[in-house]
Amino acid sequence: MKVVVILRLNPVLTDELELTEDESDIDREWIGLEINQFDDQSLEQAILLKESSDAHVTAIAIKDEGVERLLKTALAKGVDQALQISLEEIEDRSSRALAPMYAAAIRELQPDVVIVGVLSTDDLFGELAPYIAADLGWSQASAISDFRIEADKIIVRQEYSGGRAALLEMATPAVVGLQTATQPPRYVAGSKLRDLLKVEIPNLSIDVAPNLEKVGSTELALPDLSEGATMFEGDTDAIAEQIHSLLQEKGFAS
Amino acid sequence: MTVSHTLVIWCLTIGALIIAGWRAWYRFRPLLHAQPLNRTDQPWVRLKGVFGDVGLHRRLLKFSYSGVLHLMIFISFLVLFTAIIQAFGSGLFPGFSLEPIGGETWIALLQEIFAGVMFLGVGMAVWQRYVKKPERFKGSKKSDATIIYVLIIAIVVTMLFEFGSQIAFKGGQYNQFRPISSFIASILVNFGVIDSIAQTTAVFFYWAHVLAILAFLIYIPGSKHRHMFTVMPNIFFRPLTPKGALPAPPVDLVEEGKSKTVEKFEDFTWKDLFDTLSCTECGRCQHVCPAHASGSPLSPKTLIMDLRDGLLTDEGLMDAAYSLPIAGGTIKEETLWSCTTCRACMEVCPVHIEHVPKIVQLRRSLVERGEIEPMLQTTLTSFQSHGNSFGKPAKQRARWTKGLSFKIKDARKQAVDILWFVGDFASFDPRVQKLTLALGELLHKAGVDFGILFDGEHNSGNDVRRTGDEGLFEMLAHHNINELDSCEFNRILTSDPHTLNALGSEYRSLGANYKVVHYSQFLWELVNEGKLKIKNTSSNTVTYHDPCYLGRYNGGFDSPRNLITSLGYQLHDMGRCRENSFCCGAGGGRIWMDDSGMEERPSENRIKEALALGDVDQFIVACPKDVVMYNAAVQTLGMEEKIIVRDLTELVTAAIDDSP
Repeated sequence: MKVVVILRLNPVLTDELELTEDESDIDREWIGLEINQFDDQSLEQAILLKESSDAHVTAIAIKDEGVERLLKTALAKGVDQALQISLEEIEDRSSRALAPMYAAAIRELQPDVVIVGVLSTDDLFGELAPYIAADLGWSQASAISDFRIEADKIIVRQEYSGGRAALLEMATPAVVGLQTATQPPRYVAGSKLRDLLKVEIPNLSIDVAPNLEKVGSTELALPDLSEGATMFEGDTDAIAEQIHSLLQEKGFAS
Repeated sequence: MTVSHTLVIWCLTIGALIIAGWRAWYRFRPLLHAQPLNRTDQPWVRLKGVFGDVGLHRRLLKFSYSGVLHLMIFISFLVLFTAIIQAFGSGLFPGFSLEPIGGETWIALLQEIFAGVMFLGVGMAVWQRYVKKPERFKGSKKSDATIIYVLIIAIVVTMLFEFGSQIAFKGGQYNQFRPISSFIASILVNFGVIDSIAQTTAVFFYWAHVLAILAFLIYIPGSKHRHMFTVMPNIFFRPLTPKGALPAPPVDLVEEGKSKTVEKFEDFTWKDLFDTLSCTECGRCQHVCPAHASGSPLSPKTLIMDLRDGLLTDEGLMDAAYSLPIAGGTIKEETLWSCTTCRACMEVCPVHIEHVPKIVQLRRSLVERGEIEPMLQTTLTSFQSHGNSFGKPAKQRARWTKGLSFKIKDARKQAVDILWFVGDFASFDPRVQKLTLALGELLHKAGVDFGILFDGEHNSGNDVRRTGDEGLFEMLAHHNINELDSCEFNRILTSDPHTLNALGSEYRSLGANYKVVHYSQFLWELVNEGKLKIKNTSSNTVTYHDPCYLGRYNGGFDSPRNLITSLGYQLHDMGRCRENSFCCGAGGGRIWMDDSGMEERPSENRIKEALALGDVDQFIVACPKDVVMYNAAVQTLGMEEKIIVRDLTELVTAAIDDSP
């Protein structure tokens, strides 16, 4: 069985975020990037399928800063192939805009299953998996927490609220929005990464335009600072001091 | 002695030697298949060490009661060896006697005196093991010790009774060279053991003596007491490389140029295996281990014992709980992750066993399999993507410099005298950043020509290497070496003792040789040369904590103390100071792991030690991680009113302050 796993980098949210000048996106100049936690689960699940069912795994990502390193990590973890989808320019990073690109790449690779993290900080409603499936006309399920291959079918466990879950049997080809892998992601030793330092990740060129006209963010705003909240300023000590006196004032501390 | 007697003793001796040799062979033969290691350089230095730690009992005497009793048994054994020579010489070669060189005069007297010393030594040992019962013996095999005490006493008692019977046979007159035997003879005579009965008794005790010695010989290879034979080679083959340089992983002979991890016993070096067979189970390492003291599952002693028992089980000689791979099988993961790599165990071990390199080798095996402590996994992933433990973008590393009153040089763009390698905690941790700024201002005031690497600096990898991620260490190190090699400077200054160790000791194996100095030493230089003028002195009594990687690893004991006393402070050292310093618990990657399961954090144990001095209200540190660890410990203990943690930089800053 051939598996494609989609990997995305997300901004590190614990850092201070700044907006671009036109206030339509966050400024990526100074922020750190890390693998989308759900994509990390997808990668682990794909490796588990390779180990248990001899699946052939390809990791793909849109070519961008830090992506080469991300795909090398995937290679170090054990994927068979890693490809970066090269676009001329990334104007819009929304799932709606990027879904046709992923779909085009998937058509090229012809896998049986595509695994993608159920959501990410820039895919908050988990729309990427259904968009891709719709584009390809494949079966689709999201919020998946377990994954098995049986002959040419896949068995997945879908989570519902209230602790309920169902085992679904899906026909392939399919797109799966994965929530958690069967086991937590394992660590990749630096020695495996080191051995891949000089490896070049091949490009996968596609000839599809992004889906730009339908949805796009027009404005982003940082939390409103003017009312309803007291913002403390100064260094750590000064802030601690202010919090302490406020707590004293309210009678929570002596 | 008849011909048949001679034949019997020949047969017994040869038989015992064969059995003992066979028992030893089965235990030592795995060494032949283990990884090679060359430890024969500088033979004179090696011999000197053997003399110091065996002949002079240097390390043993650090524990005075045990050291003295061991010395008593040790010397007595050497002296009484003459009696063994006499017994076997005369038995194997009829007519052999030590008499011509004083066997019945001064040698006899020495034998008598040291028989007494031996009794006293064994008595003290028995008292310690069965009455005093120090905690360090917990986990050691008591029955093994008991058997040895019984055998030693049997050997000495049979010897004295043989001599006593001989004196009784000769009429029981007092022999001035054999006072104890003469006393025994007088008792024997009283009981009617005279003439032919005394002669028979002497023969009986001669055989009892010979049999006891042979029993001892046969028993030894399977006992911890084989250290009698292994300790000298074990000390001789000790590492003479810098203390802070860890050994590389074993070389893979199948895939050329690649390294492998330790999975089976033969993946260790022969010296690693020899170490386990040399362990005396004395527990000094357990006594000084911060992980053990905190209630963590690690004891360096039981780690070595478990490796030994695993090895012997692997050879079919024991039936201990054991499974492969060693990491996670014979030795549990939690045990391996508990180590702070503080090196206290290695510093105190009388037979120079190397505990820490074994732990790191086994951690490498866990890392390679991807089985690592969950919190550590997050941190190491952060190192992989950002080059620091804080998960911050590299670009933010030099953000703290915004708070300086001057513009700091970029050492990548202009030549500097001193290249300041700041380190992660000093760069990113808000509690330490203040000190980093203060140190920057001090250097500026002293007119030092210095610069930093800004975002070119990555973590030095000292503790990454100790978590077992060798590949990540190499990536970090190569990055830093590339950056440093593109700069012009004379010396590197580090805030962090761990960085001092990596740049000074670890990078050498990657072909980089730097002159590295820790800020404690550099500030002392500046004060000593008058570049920083002391204006205010303080007469407060303070104590100082030796960081493991500054002190024990790199010998930086005196500069911080000189600096403290030059500022007027009275220094009251804690009991565990200098090479016996007690680790704060942060080293070896522990600072990135969960410590919630501990009974008492090492840092809290240490603060209590400082408080117990009674006259100290300042706890002086010289390491960014110590600032973090000890401030947290003081808060946890609720002792903020009693003691404050201060860094050397703060002391100097206060001392040169211009304001009234």
